[in-house]
Amino acid sequence: MFDYRAFAIRRLTSLAPRYLPFADVATKDVPLLRLLRLSLFQVTVGMALVLLVGTLNRVMIVELAVPATLVAGMLALPLLFAPFRTLIGFKSDTYRSALGLRRVPYIWKGTMYQFGGFAIMPFALLVLSGYGEAVDAPRWVGLSSAALSFLLVGAGVHMVQTVGLALATDLVKQEDQPKVVGLMYVMLLFGMVISALIYGALLANYTPGRLIQVIQGTAVVTVALNLLALWKQEGRNRERARQMEVAPVIRFRDAWGALIARPGTMRLLCVIGLGTFGFGMADVLLEPYGGQALGFSVAETTRLTAVLAGGTLLGFAYASNALSAGGSPARLAGLGALIGIPGFLAIILSAIAGGPTLFVLGTLATGLGAGLFGHATLTATIRGAPAEQIGLSLGAWGAVQATCAGIGVALGGLVRDILVALPAFSGLAVHTPYNAVFAIEILFLALAILVAIPLFARRGQTLGAAAPHRDPAEVS
Amino acid sequence: MSDDPDKVWPTGLSLKEAEEVHSYLIDGTRVFGAIALLAHILVAFSTPWLG
Repeated sequence: MFDYRAFAIRRLTSLAPRYLPFADVATKDVPLLRLLRLSLFQVTVGMALVLLVGTLNRVMIVELAVPATLVAGMLALPLLFAPFRTLIGFKSDTYRSALGLRRVPYIWKGTMYQFGGFAIMPFALLVLSGYGEAVDAPRWVGLSSAALSFLLVGAGVHMVQTVGLALATDLVKQEDQPKVVGLMYVMLLFGMVISALIYGALLANYTPGRLIQVIQGTAVVTVALNLLALWKQEGRNRERARQMEVAPVIRFRDAWGALIARPGTMRLLCVIGLGTFGFGMADVLLEPYGGQALGFSVAETTRLTAVLAGGTLLGFAYASNALSAGGSPARLAGLGALIGIPGFLAIILSAIAGGPTLFVLGTLATGLGAGLFGHATLTATIRGAPAEQIGLSLGAWGAVQATCAGIGVALGGLVRDILVALPAFSGLAVHTPYNAVFAIEILFLALAILVAIPLFARRGQTLGAAAPHRDPAEVS
Repeated sequence: MSDDPDKVWPTGLSLKEAEEVHSYLIDGTRVFGAIALLAHILVAFSTPWLG
């Protein structure tokens, strides 16, 4: 009898990888399934980001009636931890373990903090909002416990992402790294989109009990996904354990100095900061701009977010292909910023002359530029990192990237609110404050390109020398 | 290898390795314990269950 089941499974396994954008990353040592499994930690990071910035932001203000300034302060707390990413990355580089582990203990610790933060967060928020008998509770209890829960989640997210990316870099060969970077970004986006949809559906009918269920459910799912992600990724290694035992003690300041002394590192970090800030400011403003200046309905602005995400995905896909074919990451990052500038110009002009079509095109272009820029700068960081300092380099990348993105989002809203509130601007059109922010973004992207120019030539050369030899069959 | 005095029976781990595994377990228990305690205190603030 013909074995349909075996046949179907064989067909499916031979078919499926072709339809995944980063399937050819699978090498003999690290199969695709294992990399996909590892990338699940990015899904938990995306979940945490959406829950904090999107869902809780609204729930705290609307349903729990917490003052908006307090909410903004609480949500900014995880940002305070971003600079410590360098320290975490450094510690994972120089970790001493009898088992020969470097990254997994830190991913596990980060997971515990993430879980812990989510486990106490709903109760902290309910106490903060004075739910039930908590009306009589002293104010500091709610404030400090809510702050602690946000700090814990933030610390956990920073740890998991930094060390997880370092582990992914450890696992694959150099020529496959651009594809892994693409995979990680796609999974982050995927986690954010899926969890936003799920949170939206679950919290449609808000009750305090539902809030507790949703946040604690997030805690459990986080632990489950992270455990699945790190399971058996880093083998026990007695040889490495022996090397770790005799390795000289390096101080953080020395390691940081050595990293910064490498030509181009500081410049690259500046480019990352400027560009991320430039792209980040628009994040929270595009939807209200579409609504207020162009008269988009709620459903249409939601579709706008989909356009932005689609452009970003295109950017990731193109960057993965171009970089693994031997392209220069610095030039691609410059190209990303360069695409962003006309994108923002189109968005500005759409309110004055062009209309919705120009606006959607501009949104697509900024998404594409942000995708290219993000992917290319992370790849440049990984390529520029010496093998024993991958954790530290990725920590520096994450510290700059997370800090600048956070400040960008916060300042974007702040500048708009201040301009709206200023009496001198009260007679102006509704789109003027937004366009001021978009103009600032163009300025920062231009600055990023200017700073990056000296990197174009040098990176191209070193990359040409170090470009991995690829089989013609592999390229296709 | 089998009569290595440093080995812990029956896992085949050396003493140091076993201690490290144990330390992860202890740390995890402490953190989870502290979190659970804090969560219970916070719940007691909003919905007291001990009169």
